[in-house]
Amino acid sequence: MNFSPLLAEGSSDAVENLLHWLCGLVGIPVQVGVPLILILATLGTILGACSYAIWLERKLAAWIQDRVGPNRVGWAGLLQPIADGAKFLLKEDIIPAHVDKFLFVIAPTISVFTTMLALSVVPLGPTTLGEGFSFIIAPKIDIGIVFLFSVTSLAVYGIILGGWSSNNKYSALGGLRSSAQVVSYEIPLGMSVIGIALMAGSLNLETVIDAQAKSGLFGWNIWYQPLAALIFFLAALAESNRLPFDLPECEQELIGGYHTEYSALKFGMFFLGEYTHVFTVSFLCSVLFLGGWHFPYIAELESVGILATVLKIGVLLTKVLAVIVVIMLLRWCLPRFRFDQLMGLCWKAMIPLSLGNMVCVMIVREFELSWFWLPVSSFALFCTAGVLGFKPAPVTARRSRSVEQLIAGHH
Amino acid sequence: MSGQLVTFVPIFVFIAILLGFVITNLVLAHTVGPKKHTPVKEMPYESGMDPVGDARQPFDVKFYLVAILFLVFDVELLFLYPWAVSAYVEGQHGKYGEPLSATHLGHDSPGIPYELRGTVFGVMLVFVATLAIAYVYAWRKGVFKWR
Repeated sequence: MNFSPLLAEGSSDAVENLLHWLCGLVGIPVQVGVPLILILATLGTILGACSYAIWLERKLAAWIQDRVGPNRVGWAGLLQPIADGAKFLLKEDIIPAHVDKFLFVIAPTISVFTTMLALSVVPLGPTTLGEGFSFIIAPKIDIGIVFLFSVTSLAVYGIILGGWSSNNKYSALGGLRSSAQVVSYEIPLGMSVIGIALMAGSLNLETVIDAQAKSGLFGWNIWYQPLAALIFFLAALAESNRLPFDLPECEQELIGGYHTEYSALKFGMFFLGEYTHVFTVSFLCSVLFLGGWHFPYIAELESVGILATVLKIGVLLTKVLAVIVVIMLLRWCLPRFRFDQLMGLCWKAMIPLSLGNMVCVMIVREFELSWFWLPVSSFALFCTAGVLGFKPAPVTARRSRSVEQLIAGHH
Repeated sequence: MSGQLVTFVPIFVFIAILLGFVITNLVLAHTVGPKKHTPVKEMPYESGMDPVGDARQPFDVKFYLVAILFLVFDVELLFLYPWAVSAYVEGQHGKYGEPLSATHLGHDSPGIPYELRGTVFGVMLVFVATLAIAYVYAWRKGVFKWR
């Protein structure tokens, strides 16, 4: 038996050997054992990361709003997430009398289950297309992106069922809005990725990273698909119900939206589902558009060894963290959309733009044009949409002087 | 098990673990924590007002239209994915410098042959155009207009 797996040649082999050795120690087949270890590690990391993402978000909010933020439990409030978790567990779990009990109970579980399951095809660290070890729960799945979208879109059932079963008007409205929103934004989300599939010739996220890493910093998809990246990011924000698209649960209108009636651990599960979705989205943005674990001179395709593995994980996680921080900053910097604006943005702007972008990629690939035309066409499409969409503010939208004076008089 | 199915084993393991995780959570939610039922606590929370009528009321038909349009576009997406994967794979020397074949995934998926490429391109253009016409029709009918 190899007792020093870390000393073996090559980083990925070393990790693989270590995992195989562990499987042999416990006595379970490698096909099940290696994913099992990865799954448990991922699950633990996600649970911890979710709680600390909430801490980070509260600190960021406090910083933007010139407050102190959580600072009572532990140094700088660092134990706050643990206290929150304990509170979720120890509070009373109320199931109101008027609800549909079965659906009410099952809704948060659907939310957590689907968002977590989506992580199974997302690269969580360095990946290889060859013999080595890939940090994916389920590597080498060719339908990766389709699987991911189909599973994450099931999460809307949690929201709809939660809203409907609560038998509460706020919940019902929240669930209804959310179903229309999530369903609509799924189309630009899926369509913006088709350009990537056309370029990489695969829906496997490992291949997508590999294709980007091969041609260095300027192989990253964001240079060739800037419009698709923008559309994907915005649609993903809307899919995960984050501000400025958090209409299903906008506090000022709908109290808690679809989870108004939920308390204790069931509410916690909805929360966990939402944050897991944010993580998945950030991982996807990094993998699809920002080159995954690749960074010039630091983490290249050729670099092997323990250090390279650690660096690749570090690079990927840094990118993911950057996307998460951008999402959080957006939440505290932008006001919420109105519902008609939200649907208009999706159906009148993002869907035609993503369709146009797809046709551009198609033409470039068909006639074997230079890829230089891709960013140009993206920019042209963006500007065209801006010019077509521009219209001067209608007169009725402006407040007449008398109304303003009337309002001023009331205060 | 066949080679294709083996790659999905981790997903089944993950599903089993997630089911365990979710059920544990539910059991915890129902056992830990106090249980004190009061009539007020069991009422719907509608900002302290007594609820009037049922929450499950008829709603705007717009949501139904959006659902139908979503079906049209989503099925269209499902048609586009296989095409996007196979359209420019075989023997194509892409930007990335070498043939972007699926052979390094462990099994060969040849993609669309070179001589059929033009035909497929034309078919796809017609497909997208049909979709665009449907889209324009829906817009003119005012499906995207929310009061």
